[in-house]
Amino acid sequence: MRTLNQKSIISVIVIAAIFAVAPFGLPRFYVYLIALIVTTGLLSTSLNFVLGFGGIYQFHHAVFYGAGAYAAAVMIMKLEYNPWIAFVVGPLVAAFLSLIIGLICIRLSKLYFGMLQISLGSLVWVIVYRWYSFTGGDDGIHGISVPAILESPNAAYYFTLIVAALSLFIMYRILNAPFGSILQGIRDNVVRSQAVGVNVRRHQLIAIVIAGFFAGIAGVLFVVVDNSVFPDMMFWTLSLEITIMALLGGWYTFLGPMLGAAIIVLLRTFVSTVTDYWALVLGIVLVFVILFLPEGVLGKVFEIWHERRVGKTGEVERAREANYA
Amino acid sequence: MRKGIILAIGFASLALFVTPPAFAQNTIKVGFVDTYSGPPSVYTFDVLDGFKMAIEKVNAKGGVLGKKIEYVTRDEKFKPDVGLAMAKELVMREKVDLLAGTINSSATLAVSDFAKKEKIPFICSFAKSEKITGEQGHRYVFSVAENTRMIGKAAAVALSKKPFTKYWMAGEDYEYGHAVAEATWRYVKEMKPDAQLMGQTWWKVGEADIGPYIAPIVQAKPDCLIMATGGSGNLIFMKMAKAMDLPKELAVDLHTSIELSNLQPLGNDAPEGVYGTVNYLYYYPETAENKAFVDEFNKLYNRPPKVGALYGYALGQLVVNAYQKAGAVDKEKFIDAMEGLVVDSPVGKLEMRKCDHQLMLPMFFGVTKKTPDHDYLIATDILTIPGKDYLPSCDEIMKVRKK
Amino acid sequence: MDLLSAIWSPTVICQILMGLSRTVILFIVASGLSLILGVLRIPNIAHGSLYMIGAFMAYTVSRLFGGGVAGYWMAVLIAPLAVAFLSFIVERGIFCRVYDREHIMLFLLTFAFVLIFGDLVKMVWGAEYRTIPMPHFFQGAIRILRMPFPIYNFFLLIVGPLVAIVLYFLVEKTKMGKISRAAAVDREMVAGVGINVSRVFCSVFVIGCFLAGLGGVLVAPIVNVSLGMDHTLIMEAFLIVIIGGLGNIWGALLGALIFGLTASLGILIWPQFGIVFPYAAVIVVLSFRPTGLLRSTW
Repeated sequence: MRTLNQKSIISVIVIAAIFAVAPFGLPRFYVYLIALIVTTGLLSTSLNFVLGFGGIYQFHHAVFYGAGAYAAAVMIMKLEYNPWIAFVVGPLVAAFLSLIIGLICIRLSKLYFGMLQISLGSLVWVIVYRWYSFTGGDDGIHGISVPAILESPNAAYYFTLIVAALSLFIMYRILNAPFGSILQGIRDNVVRSQAVGVNVRRHQLIAIVIAGFFAGIAGVLFVVVDNSVFPDMMFWTLSLEITIMALLGGWYTFLGPMLGAAIIVLLRTFVSTVTDYWALVLGIVLVFVILFLPEGVLGKVFEIWHERRVGKTGEVERAREANYA
Repeated sequence: MRKGIILAIGFASLALFVTPPAFAQNTIKVGFVDTYSGPPSVYTFDVLDGFKMAIEKVNAKGGVLGKKIEYVTRDEKFKPDVGLAMAKELVMREKVDLLAGTINSSATLAVSDFAKKEKIPFICSFAKSEKITGEQGHRYVFSVAENTRMIGKAAAVALSKKPFTKYWMAGEDYEYGHAVAEATWRYVKEMKPDAQLMGQTWWKVGEADIGPYIAPIVQAKPDCLIMATGGSGNLIFMKMAKAMDLPKELAVDLHTSIELSNLQPLGNDAPEGVYGTVNYLYYYPETAENKAFVDEFNKLYNRPPKVGALYGYALGQLVVNAYQKAGAVDKEKFIDAMEGLVVDSPVGKLEMRKCDHQLMLPMFFGVTKKTPDHDYLIATDILTIPGKDYLPSCDEIMKVRKK
Repeated sequence: MDLLSAIWSPTVICQILMGLSRTVILFIVASGLSLILGVLRIPNIAHGSLYMIGAFMAYTVSRLFGGGVAGYWMAVLIAPLAVAFLSFIVERGIFCRVYDREHIMLFLLTFAFVLIFGDLVKMVWGAEYRTIPMPHFFQGAIRILRMPFPIYNFFLLIVGPLVAIVLYFLVEKTKMGKISRAAAVDREMVAGVGINVSRVFCSVFVIGCFLAGLGGVLVAPIVNVSLGMDHTLIMEAFLIVIIGGLGNIWGALLGALIFGLTASLGILIWPQFGIVFPYAAVIVVLSFRPTGLLRSTW
């Protein structure tokens, strides 16, 4: 458990300050881009909550993201509720959905769990896609009215930043609490955890629900930033893209997924202005990461840093464990 | 702590990805957001080529108001969220003077909403949702393509003249499919009160195996089947119609069944006797202006123009003439100039209607037939329906906008 | 009696027949997926991409031989082999180096190829729809119970069982098949007995991908060959393999039958949400038999 010391606090303030003044220096497009990155990073971190830290093969995480976004969108546009209420309902719906899907899949493990989740998630996608009278079908829902305070791009930016930072903080605390330790214990050795008396199923289920809840928050943030929802938000290719982000950033670290999200979103934005073949680029990046950089960018950075600090042998392992944050 | 610094540096270095915007100064900048990859691109490249043809001549003479017209494209890959992001990038970073696109209705609606907030003109170049100039129309959006309401009414004008009373609707289960079928049926019923709808069948977009869906329809024996498929669905349906010899069992009407984009890939394998509507045929009418257009297009791009080329050409004509009339590169003046503007096109004079910003295109209704002159089928028995005869009235549009 | 005649009405029978022809394609592709899943423990999500490549290759080969009858049969012969060859290169080049990694890494690697193959197809064949002309003797329809039933679909109904029989022999009767089944259960033991497990894996992978390519070729004349074929098919193939039992080829057949029939009958009952019926079937099956209907190799 990392303790906050003076250096940490100062650096946090510095970073917060940089982000706070960014809208005044950067062109609008980049403010929008950062908000998008932060939202995607939150989504990716919520995935990693169960994937990297729980060892659960969450192959269709995007479904919860889409559920949160759609729930909020439908509540605002079709059922005409106050947006603030919709913003709260969204993540709750996402959490509920992850509970149901979790319950169905939890009996299975590893790849089987993942494949079944993809199938169930696809069922949800199919329903949303075809129920166009309620969900807008393949059109999605646009021009979603958000509260007046949040309408300007800068306001959306700050809101996103604050909510994401809070969410990340909460997830971080959970992971460093006993619950988080048990979760990682389950990831490392299921049998031993059971032997010690841990209710593995229940823990994993709770973790999945928490992850789904924060994915739902990310979905709501997307609605705030873009005022639209699309069925693609629930498609399995997005789920795998988020997984790539987590892997690329380093899925044994807490902030890795956020970094991975930043890299991918920026890469995608700028590669797309140069070539049509973004998928090819992403695929090659993924192959490269799997073959040569499986601990991710951040993971590699830490590894190098620790090697330099503590020497090459077994110390690295212990040092890495001490740095699960 | 180190982490934080590493992250901050990481973020900053990623900013090295900044590429400067693509435009030179002192030009009129048009930003196209559209799908330039995947099956829809066969339509969208025609739009772009038609547009280029229209502005190239003008640019050669020095442009409009002394400025050349430049354009940039962004590929939305048929994804509405990408389309919206690209539109934002074009406006906020590339600083275009006007937006154009897309073939995806959902993206078009999202971009239209964005254009309204940004107060920048946006011209829809292909998407067919009636909401674009209908329910969700506004001052800043225009359309040079037909929409589902128009398609329905035009088809009904033609079908109500035929002896069909029992109808069935079928197609792909998405907004376009339902909108086109429902509009067609609504107007058929209006024009022929004794028509009955026996049933409807919907399958998912892109469904490859529609045999199980068509079989019950054949068993039910309607007089006419109103088909409502899009892009790839059209081809799948046409193939199945040929395999099952469907036109012998019942009449089939499908928007764009007579269009080159659908008939060319099928070659001589396309079904004969299918009715359809379309806004452009390169071989009809055989007027001087159409021939000149086709020849020039063929010379420049080595292929005959499809319907997208008409939209793109009209778009180019409108942009040139509107700025000329406006006298300045000003967004509001551009919009004022567009309203009621009449431009030349291969199918005659086209008016951009003031009340809803919809281009009044003519519609052609015909039936597919084999011909020895081409290695694909063409349309025959063509009925031309002029824009004013089938566009919904301004009153009708204002009523739906109020709702 | 009324219920019985309602159930066996011409409408229903035609509906079933129509559904079965799609089932054949699904079975061929799913059996390949199941094979790879069972022996190599890799959920090859790029299977759909190989199916798509098979269809596009069929287009190219058919054009090369002038379309028509010759073009079609050459395509059936060559295209799946081309796909198999491509998978051989990918397997030897990249996959075989990472067999010892966690399954999730292998899964993500196959996803990387979904991305790469998708764009490669776009680069090589462009973005337009391609169609393959239906050869003469397959054109037209036979009337069954007053319904025109395309002849090509009949052809598929014959091909399906043929492929199943060939696979049966391959898996049960050949030495290759027996070794693969053993490797699926206990790869270390197989290696311990002195068999080159890596070569076994390679063969199984290539055969599985061959089947995907074959599925693509067979479906080409009746659908649009276009980008995006891969995404839709792989979802269905996954479902089938899950219902049937991972790694079990007969499970794939059973799963494909269930899937195809529930889909086509579902359409009769509730046209708009007919597609939900197969998913419902998956959930029902898994509630009673979580590992799938037939014995899974896991």
